[in-house]
Amino acid sequence: MSKPSVIRAVDLLVGYGGEPVCAPVSFVLPPGRVLALVGANGSGKSTVLRAVLGLIEPAGGSLQVLGRDVDEREVGFRTRVSSVLDDDAYFPALTVAEHLYLTARGHGVAGADDVVHELLAEFGLADHAESLPVALSSGQRRRLLLAAGLVRPRSLLVLDEPEQRLDVAMRDRLADRLVAEKQAGGAVLLATHDPDLLRACADRAVLIADDACRLLSPDDAAEALRPGVL
Amino acid sequence: MTTVEAPAIQPGKGLGGVPGPRSIRRFTAAVARTKAGASLGSVLNDAYYAAIMIAIGLGVALGVAGQLRASLPPQDDASLGDGISLPSLVAICAIAVIGAVLSLAGRLGPVGAEGAEATWWLGLPVDRRGLLRPASLRIPVLAGLVGGVLLALLDGGLLADHGIGHVLRLGALAALCCAAVVLLAGLAQSIQFPRRSVALIGDLVIALAPVLALVAAFTDWRLSALPDLPVWLLTVLALAVVGLGWAQDRRLGRIRGRNLRESGSVASQAAGAVVSLDSRELGRALSDASARQRRRRSLRLRLVRGPKTAIMVADLMVLLRSPRHLVQLVVSALVPVLVVVTPRLAGALGVGLAVLVSGYVGMLATAEGARRAEMAPILDRLLPMSAQATRRTRLLVPAIAMLLWSLVAFAAVGLWHGDPGSWIALGVVSTPVWAGAALRSAFRPAPNWQGPLVSTPAGALPGGVLAVLARGPDVAVLGLIPVIISVALGKVLLPVIAVQLVFSLIAWTVGASTNTKPLMERLMDQQDALEKSR
Repeated sequence: MSKPSVIRAVDLLVGYGGEPVCAPVSFVLPPGRVLALVGANGSGKSTVLRAVLGLIEPAGGSLQVLGRDVDEREVGFRTRVSSVLDDDAYFPALTVAEHLYLTARGHGVAGADDVVHELLAEFGLADHAESLPVALSSGQRRRLLLAAGLVRPRSLLVLDEPEQRLDVAMRDRLADRLVAEKQAGGAVLLATHDPDLLRACADRAVLIADDACRLLSPDDAAEALRPGVL
Repeated sequence: MTTVEAPAIQPGKGLGGVPGPRSIRRFTAAVARTKAGASLGSVLNDAYYAAIMIAIGLGVALGVAGQLRASLPPQDDASLGDGISLPSLVAICAIAVIGAVLSLAGRLGPVGAEGAEATWWLGLPVDRRGLLRPASLRIPVLAGLVGGVLLALLDGGLLADHGIGHVLRLGALAALCCAAVVLLAGLAQSIQFPRRSVALIGDLVIALAPVLALVAAFTDWRLSALPDLPVWLLTVLALAVVGLGWAQDRRLGRIRGRNLRESGSVASQAAGAVVSLDSRELGRALSDASARQRRRRSLRLRLVRGPKTAIMVADLMVLLRSPRHLVQLVVSALVPVLVVVTPRLAGALGVGLAVLVSGYVGMLATAEGARRAEMAPILDRLLPMSAQATRRTRLLVPAIAMLLWSLVAFAAVGLWHGDPGSWIALGVVSTPVWAGAALRSAFRPAPNWQGPLVSTPAGALPGGVLAVLARGPDVAVLGLIPVIISVALGKVLLPVIAVQLVFSLIAWTVGASTNTKPLMERLMDQQDALEKSR
């Protein structure tokens, strides 16, 4: 019996004010797999991610996440779907560690202390655990968001260009993390411009474009990301 | 449909119980308090100063209103003739206030989650109602307080002395109505009713108020006093408001995350603008909150024949596509009309204030294009025109809009004085003053918080901020001195029109100036340059 899907999108149309930003897209993401969305800047990758997260209403087609229509108001959805978008908002008075504790304890993670310490070390934030977000560099704030996406339980991890503002070593570590994620049975949907990250962790890719969206192998998608191709 | 149970990744030692929303809120607030070093003493100190400031503000407002009441002719003066009674006008003002509250509630959400709360709270698997409850009550309470105080001031200050009981009951009625309107907007938000539509309904209610007043004037409908509701009826109304609050609370969890994020973003932008006394940013926050995401079709803009017409058409489109600013312009033009048909207000002071204040409010609506150009001069940079020529061109749309305003407002004043021709001529000649003030206000620099503090009875105020905020009103008040003199005299003299023409030319030149430094600073710069050249 085939594995049930975490995301099933059929002719999904996404956009703003009823106006689609890209061609209809269809894909299936089973558990234990990483699916990458690739495409030029402004092609609609982030908009597809926002539709999956229920932050915009699809303009057409059908979209199911965890076997249901998307409704981020449901507690079950929020329990199992973790996301890291390009948000750059923090509680000014909470330290780096406190942001992670808030997320972990808010999700009822038992042994939150160990998990937070582990992630702080993994993302190179241990020395900044007591720092306030205003004192962090843009790359450090990005790492804090990624750590927050991983400090909580999830069945689906949605990442919008997670490689942004990360150095090469941290990108490699992120790729290892995503491989571990799928090996543990989690599903990952990410939008990326990084061919190395794509080759390292993605099982399939979807090229998002105006005329038609196509399913590609990771190598073909990485090739499409070369300068001048898209 | 089959429900997929995907294997969840559970960090740590599995999942325990999820905390309640209140503990999440309390944790965030407690940490913030600790970091801010806010002791009980400092909180009490801040509360004390806030109470003192509010009391001083209320006292000043009551004093001004009382002075006005003393200067108005008595209500039973038979020589006043027909027109709108003052209580009728106050009742219509109350309708406008309710429209303004609804419009603001639609633009602000009214329920929202600001940046950090949206990012870090909304993803938690806790009951959102508990997280959003304080935010959902903040605006209804604030609207109730403002509405209640405003109407109590109007009743206690302007109208007849009915005693404190009447004032309190009327204030309570206004407070309950304003709170109910915001709670209804919150309920509309929970059923995905578009915020833009709520704001538009509010704008229409505001626009309806002066129309009602004119109908009242022409049909001779008069209120002799504002209604005095018995306490039991107020209690019933209060219970209804509590019921609305309960219904909204029950539905808080049904508001979509994206809606909460949008509302929170607008509210935080608006709050930041208020704290930094930046009225331009406040206007942008409130306008963008209710703007359409797309239009049915794009215009071909055939009127554009060159850079000058490009700027003019752009400014005109900004004005015509903003219902809020159109309503503001129309309502402000009708205010002088209402004042002259309200016998107890129709005097030199009332008419003068009406022309100045409503003119300034109308003028602000006409300069939205210039204000946006000040923030992001995209078109200005693309077009082959000097900064000076661009600024002069930007004067045209405010001038045309305020010419229409002047025709209505000054015609009303003229008809009241029995000499419409002269007054309309004066209004037309004074139009450039409004345009100059609009541009000067739109292109004023950011408030300077580093300047020396000025001691006032209300405490120390930063002089640099006040100097910046005065840019715009200064030109309007000084440039309209001939108009003020005419209103005080009750007639328009030919030399006054000539003087107004000179004042208008000066105001036009000031508005077209691209120099943002104060005169003294410019003189000092010239002095420095002269010394260096030696």
